Amino acid sequence: MSDLKLRVKEMIIERLKLEGMTPDQIEDQAPLFGDGLGLDSIDALELVLGIEQVFGVKIEDEAAGLKAFKSVQALTDFIAEHTKG
Amino acid sequence: MTDIPAHLPHRYPFLLVDRVLEREPGVRVVAEKLVTNGEPYLQGHFEGRPLVPGVLLLEMLAQAGGFLEAGTLHDAAIFLAGVKDARFRAPAFPGDRLRLEVTSEGAFAGLMKLKGAVTCEDRELCTATLLVKRL
Repeated sequence: MSDLKLRVKEMIIERLKLEGMTPDQIEDQAPLFGDGLGLDSIDALELVLGIEQVFGVKIEDEAAGLKAFKSVQALTDFIAEHTKG
Repeated sequence: MTDIPAHLPHRYPFLLVDRVLEREPGVRVVAEKLVTNGEPYLQGHFEGRPLVPGVLLLEMLAQAGGFLEAGTLHDAAIFLAGVKDARFRAPAFPGDRLRLEVTSEGAFAGLMKLKGAVTCEDRELCTATLLVKRL
C-alpha cells in the first residue's frame, strides 16, 4: 500500500471514528458512500474538513466531492494531484 | 444592530436570541440572550427552582448560528443535523445574560459544522459542536 493511501485510510478511520477498523480492511476500490463504507453526508463534511487539515487539500464543491469520494483510490489520486508542486 | 425577526423565522416562545453583538457571515457570530423569569419553560423546569434546560442552550447556539448565513432564513429549510461533544458545566438561571458565541469549522454540500459556547460573566456554561443542514 502506498504511503499516501495508508495515510488517507488512517485519516478516514480517525475522523469518522471507525473504531476497531484497520487500514487493510478498507478496500481501495470500494465506494465510500452507499454500498461500500456506507458513509453519509455528515461523514462527507468530516472528511472534507479532515482532508483540508491533514493534507492541505480543499474539496471546493459537490462536483469535486463526487469525484474524490468515489473510492479510497480516487481520493488518494485526488489528494496527490492537488498537492503536486 | 441586526433585525432578528427579519433574519430568523423563530418566534415567541421559541425565539432564543435577543441581540447580535458581532457578526461575520460564514465565520463567527456573537449573540446574546437575556434569561427572564417570564420564560414559559421555567415554569416547570423546575417548580420553585427555575433553570434553563441544557437542550435550550444548544438551541440558542443553533439560532445564533443562523446568523452565520448571510441572507434571511425565512424561506430556508434549515435543520439541526447533529450535536457532538456537548458539555454542560453550569446551569443558566433567570437574570443571566448569556453570551452565545459560534464559529464555523467549515461547510460542505449544504452542511455546516459549528463550534459553540454559552458563557455568562466569563463562566463557561455549555460548549458543543453542532451540525446544521440547509436543504
